[in-house]
Amino acid sequence: MKRIEVKLALPVVAPLLDVIKELADGLGKKLAAPLALTDLDEEYRASWVDELLAAQNEEVRVLLSLFDGDFFTDGVVAFDEDNAEVIVRACAAVRLRLRERYLQGLGEEALETADVDLQQLEEPLRRAFMCYLFLATVQELIIQHLDESILGS
Amino acid sequence: MPNPQTDTKPAVLPELQLEGVWRVVVLNDPVNLMSYVVMVFKKVFGFNEQTARKKMLEVHEQGRSVVWSGLREKAEAYVFTLQQWHLTAVLEPDEAH
Repeated sequence: MKRIEVKLALPVVAPLLDVIKELADGLGKKLAAPLALTDLDEEYRASWVDELLAAQNEEVRVLLSLFDGDFFTDGVVAFDEDNAEVIVRACAAVRLRLRERYLQGLGEEALETADVDLQQLEEPLRRAFMCYLFLATVQELIIQHLDESILGS
Repeated sequence: MPNPQTDTKPAVLPELQLEGVWRVVVLNDPVNLMSYVVMVFKKVFGFNEQTARKKMLEVHEQGRSVVWSGLREKAEAYVFTLQQWHLTAVLEPDEAH
């Protein structure tokens, strides 16, 4: 099984985990990407949303479980074919929620290019944007090294 | 039996005549990475790299891309799957059919 391990700087990453944990509760109640279909039967739509929310909740749970007690000992997280798909989705969900909660004021171009001077941002915006960048890096790592596992699953 | 020389009207499946053809349209967002969208298109629709990149760039540059068309039920299933990947997608009737 292909597996990648990444050693992270604890003092940098630990505060970002607090941001993810804070958003996790909300992600259990509201879809990160709103359901845009308007002409679905109400009952059918409700069952869709329930199923999507359950999946989203589980994704974020798996993401947070990467940073358990062992992580605070060695600073290492591991991605493999068992968790790659779920983690890459969880990162997408949290990034979307970060935008909604904290990053609206940055504008679309800044969010797309990530061309923002972090020193110019004030808390809690700065920490939220660092979290946004951190999760994008996790996604890039997984897509670069484990996309075949995801596509083949 | 259709005559290929004289019967030029394209064949339409009976199900399509009954329900019409629906398009699955993916909408742009500034958050999801280009590489992520390409991977999702490959995974969900079985696109090759070239097609997936072309569709992703349509979304990025034009704000939307039609990624599939066909029966309503299957189109809804694709929208659901795209939502699982946190992409925003809508359905619209394909007026050409």
